[in-house]
Amino acid sequence: MIRVDNIKKTFPGANSPAVDQVTFNVNEGNICVFVGPSGCGKTTILRMINRLIEPDQGDIFINGKDVLEMNPATLRRTIGYVIQQIGLLPHRTIEANVALVPGLLKWPRDKTRQRVLELLEMVGLRPGEVGHKYPHQLSGGQMQRVGVARALAADPPIMLMDEPFGAVDPIVRIRLQDEFLRLQQTFKKTICFVTHDINEAIKMGDYLVIVNQGRIVQMGTPIEVLTSPADDFVLRLLGDDRGVKILDLTRSGSLMESFQAPPKTSAGINGCIVQAIQPVKIALEMMMKNNSDQVGVCSGDKIVGILTWNSIKAHINRVSGDGP
Amino acid sequence: MNFYGFILDNTGLVLEYTLNHISLVAVVLFFSLILWIAVGLVISRYDRIAGTIISLGSIVFCIPSISLFGFFMSVPGLGLGRRTATLVLVIYAMMPLVRSVYMGIKSVDPSVIDAGKGMGMTGLQILFKIQVPMAWPMVFAGIRVTVVLITGIATMATFIGEKNLGRLIHQGITRGNADMIIAGAVIVSLIALAIDYIMGRIEKKITSPGLRFEAGK
Amino acid sequence: MNFDMDIFMDALWRLSPGYLTEHLQLVIIPMAIAILISLPAGIIITRPGYRRHSGRVMAFFNAGQTIPPLAVIAIFFPFLGLGYGPAILALTIYALLPIARNTIAAIHSVPEDVKEAAMGMGMTPREVLFSVELPLSVPAIMTGIKTSAVLTVSTAVLAALVGGKGMGAVIFSGINFFRPELILAGTIYIGIMAIVIERMISVIEWMIVPAHIR
Repeated sequence: MIRVDNIKKTFPGANSPAVDQVTFNVNEGNICVFVGPSGCGKTTILRMINRLIEPDQGDIFINGKDVLEMNPATLRRTIGYVIQQIGLLPHRTIEANVALVPGLLKWPRDKTRQRVLELLEMVGLRPGEVGHKYPHQLSGGQMQRVGVARALAADPPIMLMDEPFGAVDPIVRIRLQDEFLRLQQTFKKTICFVTHDINEAIKMGDYLVIVNQGRIVQMGTPIEVLTSPADDFVLRLLGDDRGVKILDLTRSGSLMESFQAPPKTSAGINGCIVQAIQPVKIALEMMMKNNSDQVGVCSGDKIVGILTWNSIKAHINRVSGDGP
Repeated sequence: MNFYGFILDNTGLVLEYTLNHISLVAVVLFFSLILWIAVGLVISRYDRIAGTIISLGSIVFCIPSISLFGFFMSVPGLGLGRRTATLVLVIYAMMPLVRSVYMGIKSVDPSVIDAGKGMGMTGLQILFKIQVPMAWPMVFAGIRVTVVLITGIATMATFIGEKNLGRLIHQGITRGNADMIIAGAVIVSLIALAIDYIMGRIEKKITSPGLRFEAGK
Repeated sequence: MNFDMDIFMDALWRLSPGYLTEHLQLVIIPMAIAILISLPAGIIITRPGYRRHSGRVMAFFNAGQTIPPLAVIAIFFPFLGLGYGPAILALTIYALLPIARNTIAAIHSVPEDVKEAAMGMGMTPREVLFSVELPLSVPAIMTGIKTSAVLTVSTAVLAALVGGKGMGAVIFSGINFFRPELILAGTIYIGIMAIVIERMISVIEWMIVPAHIR
């Protein structure tokens, strides 16, 4: 869907390029997260996709069309854009803010209004309550929701999100992330997402692009990156709790010893069970709660296997063993 | 001391001077708004000339108004009268107007502009849908300052032949007529205060409720 | 334009310098009095006890600034007659407004949390004023003094109308006798004086403002 080919950008007056030799693809319906320390060039990469920054060299294609040959304003109207500072127009009501891009695209009034109400509802705001308010009357979390609604207004197939949940407190951030992921399950937008928070990256990303000093140091699915970090930089970025993070991404079902036949009794399990699709982390939690070293693994209401502390330990040793 | 006595005795004259005063201010304002708002908008898009233009405005502002009146009066083709008065006052209006337009536009939060750009607004759309409406309260405040300023400086135009409220003060001083001076000073001050008050009220009204909180901070 | 170079040179080198000291006095005396009055007044009005009145005081100062300079100069004439004194008084009042306004605004603009932190560490209100509020307000206060000084230099020209002399005498003769040479010569001195005074205040500001908030 998005193909970026060997782009480079050096800002005037800078000694070294801000972005160099960057090549990646984002598949349709995926969330591709760019993660790295501040100043690493991830935002620059994002802003080149909708041409807020022009690359010095390289090509960017969206659906096979060369972005650099399109009219920038027309291009941007087909790409949702969410930034940390949100950038709501302070002199317009919330409704008018969400209606911005439909307005630019000259949608009929009724259709726009319909869409605005629908979107506010969708991002968890009450249109009747906030629609006529002005941005400064909203809380940080509400403003972020409006920012997302505004970006979704014209139903763009692609969204660029630069630290979209960065300005709110951790509790609200987690709620916004969860809600956004839920929305994404139905929308299936192609999303480029920038963050400096590795936990957010692992949680939100179908695919991670790890950036340092303007270059891509590693690409892959979260579990690929976690299990085989490319170098010390990635290892440090992932943090000391890499094993626990892996367990968060591993399904209990994948580590269990399955029963050949369903057991007659649930002896030894004592109602200590998890679902096969739940992460191993939940299984660990259950073990600790029940002071047990094993849990039963269910598929629906049928017990299909057993997950033991030893098999989890073996798994962690196996995957974290292959560091760089 | 009986300045309202003076006003009552000379109603025709006072009225004529007052109307002259107001009409001069109105004409100056008309030309100044067209010219200087346009200049302000233009320099807000070309930062390189902005500094030069604004410091030019401040320099003009430091020249005593009487010097400008006197100097332009000596320029052939201008001479005594309304043409020179208008020209000088329009020049004086440059600093507050250009500055307020420029500062107003520049004070717009860059992240709002970035968001607008990122959503596909063109340069002109950003100017007229984001920057101008957000700058408008500041610009209007600049217009208010300008009108008050022009009303005051217009009194000095009496020295180049304008028959306005400044003339009451000027002639009052030369003739030693205290009532005349006070009549002139009081009327012109009241006009300035009234304009300031009324425009202040309008300023509050036209500011978008979404921007009002900033002024209240 | 009929511009006589000889007259101009004469006005520039012989006539105008004689009025320079007078004009300088018309600026410095009113400025000094205005600063002495409006700084303490600005500080007092921003103290917690009086703070609720400060909105009205500001409105009063703002309104004061809308009154045309010619009106301010002229209004004292009937009471005090011609001369130097009335001119000084009028210019003082005119210089006072921007200084007081900026002082009040500057002290108000010191962030509440900084003051609270200072108080939280046990500073007395007096210490908060002298080691937090004033140092942080100095740049804005100095801006007010600068604005006022530049304004006073050019407004002092009007003193000539009420017998206060100064460079205005040269400029107004130019007007009365249609002599642009005199107007230009006088204006050049006014301009230079405005620039020099502004620079001098900037130097003073540079000396008293702590380097890190400059």
